[in-house]
Amino acid sequence: MADRSHIVKSYEQELGQLRSMMAQMGGIVENQVALALSAIADRNEEAADAAARQDPEVDQLEREVESLAIRLLALRSPMAGDLREIVAALKITGDLERIGDYASSIARRSLRIRMPENQISLSGLRSMGRLVQENLRRSIDAITQQDSNRAMEVWHSDRAVDEYYTALFRELVTYMMEDARNIRACTELLFIAKNLERIGDHATNIAERVFYAVTGDNLPSLRPRGGPASALTVAETMQEPDVR
Amino acid sequence: MTPGTMQGMIQDSMMTETDPQVAKSPEVALAVRNLNFYYGENHALHDISVDFPARRVTAMIGPSGCGKSTLLRVFNRMYDLYPGQRATGEVIFDGRNVLDRDLDLNILRARVGMVFQKPTPFPMSIYDNIAFGVRLHEKMNKADMDARVQDVLTRVALWNEVRDRLNAPASGLSGGQQQRLCIARSIATRPEVLLLDEPTSALDPISTARIEELLDELKEEFTIAIVTHNMQQAARCADQVAFFYMGRLIEVDSADRMFTNPKQQQTQDYITGRFG
Repeated sequence: MADRSHIVKSYEQELGQLRSMMAQMGGIVENQVALALSAIADRNEEAADAAARQDPEVDQLEREVESLAIRLLALRSPMAGDLREIVAALKITGDLERIGDYASSIARRSLRIRMPENQISLSGLRSMGRLVQENLRRSIDAITQQDSNRAMEVWHSDRAVDEYYTALFRELVTYMMEDARNIRACTELLFIAKNLERIGDHATNIAERVFYAVTGDNLPSLRPRGGPASALTVAETMQEPDVR
Repeated sequence: MTPGTMQGMIQDSMMTETDPQVAKSPEVALAVRNLNFYYGENHALHDISVDFPARRVTAMIGPSGCGKSTLLRVFNRMYDLYPGQRATGEVIFDGRNVLDRDLDLNILRARVGMVFQKPTPFPMSIYDNIAFGVRLHEKMNKADMDARVQDVLTRVALWNEVRDRLNAPASGLSGGQQQRLCIARSIATRPEVLLLDEPTSALDPISTARIEELLDELKEEFTIAIVTHNMQQAARCADQVAFFYMGRLIEVDSADRMFTNPKQQQTQDYITGRFG
């Protein structure tokens, strides 16, 4: 491939700096999600603390990415692929910051769960967590490698996250209906599942933005949907004949 | 079946077969078809085909020597002034090929005005700079000429600045004012097409902004073709942008698509500053 460097070296360096800040931010957020999942699965309090402690660093990086992107827009008048990449970075940094927030929220919540002994299975939540983590990893790879195919994979995989969430929602409501003592723990787990689902959505947002930055085309506005996940109500769940 | 119904059906079928994009596309002022241009042995433009929509601004961009100014000079047959320069193909303007040998060049140049990189006021008064060209094509009395001068100076936003010194030499105006005077001079003969060859490259940012604002107003009436090296200027002013490289038209598209998502790698490399 021909050398696609800018004639102006300092411009090239600033774009490189933007990319490396995005990669750094992606790395921290990925780690936060991993720690939060370990906090739930292994009841690991240290991991929970570590996840929450990384939040200020992510917030700081978000501000730095924003200010560099605005400087590039003002001083370099970027065009075409550069313009798309910088605008995408501005939006992706917001998605990453939200993911970081959800991860620390999951971590904090995990510390509050007092799980009734052996009654509630966490296997569904673990599987959902693994898939969300995998999607996040792929979307961050898509950023660092500017890979639209990776982005497309994440976009298609959001359906599975939604399906997990719907199934988990039903499962947790069933636990609560079986025994009122489960309500407190299951409510926390429901919030955690919702936060994971939101992380999945933001990973998909990132994938869409990378796809646009790389190809100049938008993915369809309607994502492939697995189920009525986010619209599902408790009443609907209770009407299901197979709940009890 | 009544004739009326028949007609209605024909109209219906015509409506459904009309591509909405085509129906909406503006009329074409200049249609360039398979244009080749030679400076002696040097083949400067290769098989160019492109439309210049009426009452729109088309910007031509590309590195030095890519042929964009050459194309501009074909539109009013400027090249005829130099021996050894020749063009083949067609440039259709108002149903006629501009390249036809028997075309009246005086009429062509009155209908296709041109403004150059450096302001080129005539060594005469501000008033006469405008009246000079008009007198070549139209006979009019003093009052009508006064009205024409005031009209075009007002349209280039120069009237208030020069109304008290119309008889002063044009050379006393600032660079930006001189360039606006040259644009006023070009539109005084009421052309249909206005060609601008880097009209603001010698001007400060305020004068540049005034000219750009002027283009925005003039395009309601004129078809404008502008050659510019300033990418931001093309983005700000143009409805359509054509990118040339080494005498070939690489890509032509609307300005917003061209500067956010060009289709050709060469265009992308040029407008992002990656040209090796």
